Amino acid sequence: MNSKELNKWWSKASSKYSIYIVLVAMFVVCSVISPVFLSTKNITNISRQISITTIIAFGETLLIICGLIDLSAGSVLALSGVLSVAAYKMTGSMQIAVLVGITVGVFCNAINGMLVTKFKTPPFIATLAMQTAARGAALLYTNGQNIYQIGEYKALGQNSIGIIPIPVIFMIGTTMITWYILNHTKFGRHLYAVGGSEEAARASGVNNNRTKMTAYLINGLFVGIAGVLFMSRVNAGLPNGGIGAEFEAMTSAIIGGTSFSGGIGTAMGTLAGAFIMGFVNNIMNLVGVQSYMQQIVKGIIIALAVVYDIRSKNKRDKKKQGNINDKLTDADGKNKALAAR
Amino acid sequence: MKSIKKLMAVMMSAMLALSLSVGCAPTNQTSAGGEAPKAAAEDSKPAEEGQKTYRIAYIARAQSDSFAAWLANAVKDEVAAKYKDVTVDIFDGESKNEVIASHIENAVTNKYDCILLQPYDSEAQVAPAMEAMDAGVQVVTVNNRINDNDRAGAIDADPVEQAAKNAELALSQIPQNGKVVVLMGPAGNMHSDKRRIGWQQGFFDKRPDVKILDEQIANWNKDEAMRFMEDWIQTYGEIDAIISMNDNMAVGALEAAKAAGMTNILSYGVDGTAEACLAIEAGEMTSTTLQSAYALAEEAVKLAYEMMTGKGERRTVLVDCPLITKENAKEYIELHKKAGNLK
Repeated sequence: MNSKELNKWWSKASSKYSIYIVLVAMFVVCSVISPVFLSTKNITNISRQISITTIIAFGETLLIICGLIDLSAGSVLALSGVLSVAAYKMTGSMQIAVLVGITVGVFCNAINGMLVTKFKTPPFIATLAMQTAARGAALLYTNGQNIYQIGEYKALGQNSIGIIPIPVIFMIGTTMITWYILNHTKFGRHLYAVGGSEEAARASGVNNNRTKMTAYLINGLFVGIAGVLFMSRVNAGLPNGGIGAEFEAMTSAIIGGTSFSGGIGTAMGTLAGAFIMGFVNNIMNLVGVQSYMQQIVKGIIIALAVVYDIRSKNKRDKKKQGNINDKLTDADGKNKALAAR
Repeated sequence: MKSIKKLMAVMMSAMLALSLSVGCAPTNQTSAGGEAPKAAAEDSKPAEEGQKTYRIAYIARAQSDSFAAWLANAVKDEVAAKYKDVTVDIFDGESKNEVIASHIENAVTNKYDCILLQPYDSEAQVAPAMEAMDAGVQVVTVNNRINDNDRAGAIDADPVEQAAKNAELALSQIPQNGKVVVLMGPAGNMHSDKRRIGWQQGFFDKRPDVKILDEQIANWNKDEAMRFMEDWIQTYGEIDAIISMNDNMAVGALEAAKAAGMTNILSYGVDGTAEACLAIEAGEMTSTTLQSAYALAEEAVKLAYEMMTGKGERRTVLVDCPLITKENAKEYIELHKKAGNLK
């Protein structure tokens, strides 16, 4: 391979895998900065710390690809979590508790989906309304107080199977579900199609409303699971838990290459984005960076990651100038092209 | 059609879950009632013939804050139990200075006799409170004070003392050359900063041998404190004590320490929450100081009543903050059971 070919290969690889390159680079830098970073215990810690946010992030990824959004994730997490804890305290059955958590998550998102599809409410407003209402419901039910003494409920969030914490197993599970949906199902192709262009999707026979509704219901499933895991991890029912969780989740998705313009995003990208944020948070604590400084550094890294990602995408797009299928052959474009047929 | 059916099924099951949860809400209410029997809606009691009814507007810092919610409930209970000629309405300040200001203005317009205010910011609430007092409405602050040169009545617990009592205990407990981590509340929060001063004066200034490994803001949150502690355990390995500005964070950090098998770690909080009392009784947590919503509510309503009826003058009352350790934790667990904070 001569240097020209190598260059070409590199520029191709770097644009397609830009986010993974950032991830690997950060991993290397962190390992150099702190000797404990690479320890098995620390890596399992990071995985567990990001697991709940990441599960929500997959819901957001599906929604954002479809041109939607969910601002209610943090509140619905709290509501499904406290009701699940309450169900556990009443029945002593973890199965029922998990079922209640998931049902509440799906129910709230069914309302989100209905507002968006039936009543044509902008997703931003519909889910903002749910954010307020669900938080209110969680506080009302608990009378503003935390629920304690929840017994073995904590096992799900705190125990491990082998060395892998249970929340991480859920994260891996939701990663695979999301990956499968986006890459191997008709519904996944419809998500990209609707997010890319609603008109085009409709013209090619996609049921836009059903696609959007399904996206919200799956998001509800993920948020419900996250709610149960969250309460279980903190060993209490916290009606104030998860404030702002939706933004952390969206940050992971966006860093991972999901685009707010719709029609673009991958499961693995979101996972990578979540790990990048996890590494940043972790390394700053390991090194002992002062807390105000941490916020500034986090802001800078988010900006840098996204700028790098956009630049490498632009480079790639430039090469394809003039090609009307430009967007369709993008990272995930083959799906869109299929759907548009 | 099929999707509608599916949706219906989902909604039905969700409703089932909700009715399940609503079904147990009344039990929660009865236990919260405890021994102070509450009239169904204490807010509106008919006054006796020919007798003046005094109206209090209670403006809470934020009803979503668990301590603020407890205090609001305590004020309601106190009025219902002891003052036949007083009604109280609760307003939610939503942790926003502008919302609190408009609640104060509305209370003046609605001719309340007294505004019982739980300030969110000691500076931001001064102007609206002054206006209210100029308009002839009595103002009493509770659980924080405003910088009004002692014009409004004030009931508070001293945050420096709350921390200092724990610090005094720590002087003898934390080993020579001990290593500690510090957890703070939100940046600029008055209670967090004052409690930190209490620790500085009562402990760190006296024990220069103790090393602070790291000090971070966990925003009063249990989950954030857990995350910090997990990372600290990785970096520093040995940690002798967790010094936290509230109980939520102390218990969160303790949760991480337990998971790492550190059973001998010392941990100090402030607030005396139900969860902390349980952890102290179980021998997991070391100590905390109680910020009693009952004591604050009792004094605040008493002072408000005296000022409204002209029977007494404004004054500043600092309520006591007892230290809770393994010896007396049981007593405070009972208190929380009575308050309905523990079921």
